[in-house]
Amino acid sequence: MTNGQKTTIEFNDQVVRQFLLASLLWGAVGMLVGVLIATQLNFWQASLGQAWLSFGRLRPLHTNAVIFAFVGNMMFAGIYYSTQRLVKARLASDFLSALHFWGWQLIIVAAAITLPLGLTRGKEYAELIWPLNIAVALIWVVFAVNFFWTLARRHEKSLYVAIWFYIATIITVAMLYIVNHLSIPTSLLHSYPVFGGVQDGLVQWWYGHNAVAFFLTTPILGIMYYFLPKAAERPVYSYRLSVIHFWSLVFLYIWAGPHHLLNTALPNWLQLLGMTFSLMLWAPSWGGMLNGLLTLRGAWGRLRSDPVIKFFAAGVTFYGMATFEGPLLSIKSVNALAHYTDWIIGHVHAGALGWNGFMAAGMFYWLVPRLWKTKLHSESLANLHFWLGTFGILLYVAAMWASGISQGLMLNATAEGGTILKYPNFIETLNAVRPLMLLRVVGGALYLAGFVIMGWNVWRSIRGASAVNGTMEVFVEAPDPGAALGLRGTFLNAPVVYTTLGLAAACVWMFTSGVLNLLGLLATMISVLLAIGHFESRGRAWADWYDRLLVNALPFTVLTFLSVAVGGLIQIIPMMTIDRRLQTEDRVARTYTPLELAGRDLYVREGCYNCHSQMIRTLVPDVMRYGDYSRLGESIWDHPYQWGSKRTGPDLARIGGKYNHAWHYDHLENPRNISTGSNMPAYTWLMAQPTDYAALPAKIRVQRMLGVPFPSWSPAMIDTLAKEQAKDIAKELKAQGRYVDPDREVVALIAYLQSLGKTWEPTGAPAAQP
Amino acid sequence: MNPPPDPGIKLRPHTYDGIQEYDQRLPNWWLYTLYGAIVFWVAYWFTCMIAGIMPADGARVDSAMSRIAAAKMASSIDVTNDRLFWEMSRNPVFIDAGKQTYQSLCVPCHLPSLRGKSENPAAVGPDLTDTAWLHGGTPKEIYVTVAKGVVAKGMLAWEPVLGQKKTAEVVAYLLSRHQPGETVTVELPK
Amino acid sequence: MGVQSEIEKPKSKMVSAHRPTPDSVTTINADGSRYFLYPADVRGPFTAWRRISAGLLIAVYLLLPWIPVNGHPAVFLDIAGRRFHFLGCTLAAQDVWLLFFGVSGLGFGLFFLTALFGRVWCGWACPQTVFLDHVYRRIERWLEGDALARRALKLAPMSAGKLLRRALKHLLYVLASLVITHLFLAYFVSLPEVWSMMHDAPGEHWTAFLFVFTAAGLLYFNFAWFREQLCIVICPYGRLQSALTDDHSIVIGYDARRGEPRGKLKTEDKGRKTEDRTAHAASLSAHTSPASVPGSLSSGAAGDCVDCNRCVQVCPTGIDIRHGLQLECIGCAACIDACDEVMARVHRPAGLIRYDSFAGLMGGVTRWVRPHTVLYGVLLGVGAAVAAFAFSTVKPANFLVYRAGGAAYFAGPHEVRNQFMVRLVNKRTAPAVFTVSTEGLPAGLRQSGFETPVTLAPMGETVSPLVLVAPRRDYHGSFKFTVRVRDAARTFTLAREVEFMGPDARLLEEEDHAKGLKR
Repeated sequence: MTNGQKTTIEFNDQVVRQFLLASLLWGAVGMLVGVLIATQLNFWQASLGQAWLSFGRLRPLHTNAVIFAFVGNMMFAGIYYSTQRLVKARLASDFLSALHFWGWQLIIVAAAITLPLGLTRGKEYAELIWPLNIAVALIWVVFAVNFFWTLARRHEKSLYVAIWFYIATIITVAMLYIVNHLSIPTSLLHSYPVFGGVQDGLVQWWYGHNAVAFFLTTPILGIMYYFLPKAAERPVYSYRLSVIHFWSLVFLYIWAGPHHLLNTALPNWLQLLGMTFSLMLWAPSWGGMLNGLLTLRGAWGRLRSDPVIKFFAAGVTFYGMATFEGPLLSIKSVNALAHYTDWIIGHVHAGALGWNGFMAAGMFYWLVPRLWKTKLHSESLANLHFWLGTFGILLYVAAMWASGISQGLMLNATAEGGTILKYPNFIETLNAVRPLMLLRVVGGALYLAGFVIMGWNVWRSIRGASAVNGTMEVFVEAPDPGAALGLRGTFLNAPVVYTTLGLAAACVWMFTSGVLNLLGLLATMISVLLAIGHFESRGRAWADWYDRLLVNALPFTVLTFLSVAVGGLIQIIPMMTIDRRLQTEDRVARTYTPLELAGRDLYVREGCYNCHSQMIRTLVPDVMRYGDYSRLGESIWDHPYQWGSKRTGPDLARIGGKYNHAWHYDHLENPRNISTGSNMPAYTWLMAQPTDYAALPAKIRVQRMLGVPFPSWSPAMIDTLAKEQAKDIAKELKAQGRYVDPDREVVALIAYLQSLGKTWEPTGAPAAQP
Repeated sequence: MNPPPDPGIKLRPHTYDGIQEYDQRLPNWWLYTLYGAIVFWVAYWFTCMIAGIMPADGARVDSAMSRIAAAKMASSIDVTNDRLFWEMSRNPVFIDAGKQTYQSLCVPCHLPSLRGKSENPAAVGPDLTDTAWLHGGTPKEIYVTVAKGVVAKGMLAWEPVLGQKKTAEVVAYLLSRHQPGETVTVELPK
Repeated sequence: MGVQSEIEKPKSKMVSAHRPTPDSVTTINADGSRYFLYPADVRGPFTAWRRISAGLLIAVYLLLPWIPVNGHPAVFLDIAGRRFHFLGCTLAAQDVWLLFFGVSGLGFGLFFLTALFGRVWCGWACPQTVFLDHVYRRIERWLEGDALARRALKLAPMSAGKLLRRALKHLLYVLASLVITHLFLAYFVSLPEVWSMMHDAPGEHWTAFLFVFTAAGLLYFNFAWFREQLCIVICPYGRLQSALTDDHSIVIGYDARRGEPRGKLKTEDKGRKTEDRTAHAASLSAHTSPASVPGSLSSGAAGDCVDCNRCVQVCPTGIDIRHGLQLECIGCAACIDACDEVMARVHRPAGLIRYDSFAGLMGGVTRWVRPHTVLYGVLLGVGAAVAAFAFSTVKPANFLVYRAGGAAYFAGPHEVRNQFMVRLVNKRTAPAVFTVSTEGLPAGLRQSGFETPVTLAPMGETVSPLVLVAPRRDYHGSFKFTVRVRDAARTFTLAREVEFMGPDARLLEEEDHAKGLKR
């Protein structure tokens, strides 16, 4: 500790303050939008008849704002503050820090403008259009460079567990974001994702699930590992637990993505992996929760009075509840009831409000007095925030549980000895949960009120206070060449070798048959036994190697990347390499007509997927209600896929031909015309706006590039085809007593809706493959 | 100043920005839940993917749906068999059952007398006792009309609501007002 | 920093009494194995009260499905029939959202109670504690004797006698678990049915069978072995409850001002006054780590705590309450009774460990009215009012009107027609007669359907059409009207507003003009 030269460094806390305030601002905005759209579910008039205020467009704004703007900014504040101190180095570049901050805020502003305008990619939490995708990726690289450069200049050689989680966050989010946003532009504002149908679905939830894991969980766990022991002034409960739960979490989480697609047309082996790995995730998740709680244990008495500790204890507890519920919901039979219902909404909000929101609050209350060298304006207001927040979450989550379970039970209820549905009309089940949707608004509004109180409290605290940057005395030590792990040291050691062997053998076992299968099982067991034997006898060597790994940031990063990458590779590569036509089961979709494609893009623009699925699951109640279960081949040419994740309204996979055009026209004009008590917006602007025929040639050209077998139409032909079909539909509508100009968007949308479930041809393959 | 911790509980030598770490264990049973989940994965994968004991989801639903279809058929008749419908229409058990359903659901449009517009021109539905039919007058055609409805005119599809058995009973009740072999005329729907 | 020792704890299987520390969990050994607790017997007023309340609670938990109210068990969640009975109130599937009030009311009542009294739920009313302390631990106590005897039995080599006693104990545990789960099943399946199911082969009700035996297995595992681990590691509510307390919440606390410095009893200390040491106590900051309390008083005067460790021996979660409020404390008050008994024996005032707020323990006054309790009290009141209102709207029937058929309306040459379906649900156990009527219809409109009253079987449901026809000359645009349901005895009425839809009346006029029709 004494060799080397002593210097004093000043931290860059300016950027921390900026991110903190931005998080408070965007958090309030994001939650306000949430309360607004929840209100719209009860009072459809709350969109004021404005397209840009409609549910389908604002729900993406809500999710993107709370994930990327609120938690994103909070995470950057926490990571920058703690990393500088944990590695004893000022952030590498003030310019990159500022670029990171302002770039991120600009992206948020751009998102807040584009999403309500209906500019979207149509994939959940990945809605931003392609120019913004590039901006996000670039700013993320700026963040990564700034972070790793800081690590390179560190004066603390050994990496603390918080830093492990930050590393995992940065590299994994980059990987997920880039792969899921690969798209080909058709114009400056529109693109199609390169993946289609089941591939798109798989990639989407590989991304979507792990956005939860690596954007909402791992960075916050890192933040927990720094701020919680700091606030509690207690040692962390267990280092070995940190090691176990870090590596098992980053390795296992990636595999669980397919649990968002249980009972769908997704191939069974992927569903199985999604479910079983979700169950395995319970223990590592709770490892993190318990390490936090048991660290607080020695400071438990302070729960009574210290708002910071209160928020941390409750936040960690909600993390535990959400990660217990998650594996439960991943069990296929539980999922059959809960999926597409409000239960899932309750589940994510227990995590988002309880874990992310409360950890953020604890961190903010702890940071503000230190960053501005002041006292918190009011501890009792902070306590009030806590009580309001807890009550809000209770109300919200209880309402969503009750709603999800009662709607799920009603949708599955049958009569006449199980031969017909008890409630064949979807609207009856929606009506039954309407009061709960109202109570959810109350819960959310209370939570928001608490959050706003925090904003006011922070503002009062820092008003007039002076910003202060932290300083630290460090010893500049000469580098120790002996500590470096070379290539051999990184890979040729017991933990890595045994893990690789075991995994490879397990893959052989999983994906082969016959003798090879048996050999794989045998090899898996042998490698596990060898590993156990080696660990029991030479455990010291494992620990020593790990200690050395901790002073080698690059090898650590490489190993982290490999362990997160492997799950995705094993799940996604087989689905990518096989010809799409082989993944169609017994039917394959025909391509859309130009007008149907135009209608489909309107369906995406209006965010219909936020409330309607296009996936009839392999479940009896689904088949009874909506028709034969969906096959992979039926959506194989869909860029982006629109399977959906929530049914506020009924499934639309086979809506085509079920009603006449006039029904759809009346329904889109005002859904209450058809369904008493419906909460769907009235899409009056579709009756007024003209269909964008001009964009179609570019769109079809891109789809052809992506492998969708459109005929090689000339642009003129595309135009004619679209207009002809529009005229036909308008004529039919007229015959049914509705007058509409064929060039209006509503005609294109009706064309698309009437094609759903109608546009496939049998392939001759057997119906159900074993 | 913290008191010296229990000698059994060791602090790790390194501190990070003042943060210290113990190296305690979590309860073993916690670890066993992880092992249990791994064992479950192996067993489940084996049952579903390797041994193939569990049927694929699609096949399972198909067979469940065929069971439901079979249950419907078992409690109903061959709805394409005109002769069977006529036999039913002479059987008081079916007629009574059909009449009950008719009276609770069909009366608002077709009137209790079944005579619809013939009895009262202001009624919604057409006469069901005459020999002029709009959508086909053979028993199996009548069944299809009742079961699938006539969407454009507001005639509902009743089979999803009633099930096949009750729908067939209603058809039997209608036919009880008709004679086998009577000449029927079909007006083309407007 | 802290003194480190390289001494490894001997890994012997000897059951030595762990000394609780604030740094670790007593029930987890250094190697991760379980440290099984043998809480000592305790006597005293709180123990007696807890036993009485537990007896009552067990009776309530188990008897609710047996007590009939309005012809149904007090609580009977008939999942199969989708009818839910609560103390005489019957809910249909459409009313299930009211269960929300049950869930959130329980949760929120707990919040309020916690703000006032800390984790009083955990120690007094939670089924985990109630059944563990007052059923399973009683069985154990009866068969294996007091804590010392149980510990000795555990250490004793296996013998016929030990085997027999152990087997008997587990047999009784299994029996108790089976009884509890069967009675629990009666919340969901009516009692006669449970009885008949028990007589059938398991294969005939394999879901119920699986449910009962899985649940019984879990209960057995939980109560025979897992015990306090559930409260410490699994249960989220304990932690949330701790976070919901404040300095004025009444919790179980050790009066460090009176007790410290603790020391073995010396004769001259007997009956000594405590006031003279309050000065030291004032120096105890509110946030001093509880573990730092011992030894922090430098004065020679000894405190009231005689360090007899009785409070630790009786604790069912293995903590030392003298370390202050802790994660594990379930507020069972065993340590209060234990300490008071000792205090009485050494002729010192009771209440060294007592129910008190942190403020009270620090010599201040407990404030009952504070923003926290007022806010929660108000919110609880509002919630109760909303719940009462919501339940008061639950009528003995449900009804719903929805538009039927493929279109909003059907327009013919002479008329505009709207078709609705009306779902009626009778939630009474007796047949009921309902009349359905429409109100606010303009002249000329014809209604068909529901001309006569509808009779519904007990708990029956029906869906019937309601058709409204407006002659074209009487139709001048869409309008709202009311559908009303009354029972024959006119004890209640339900109403819903519905809209009669049609084409734009101006379009109809134009059309008529085009056809040259006179209006």
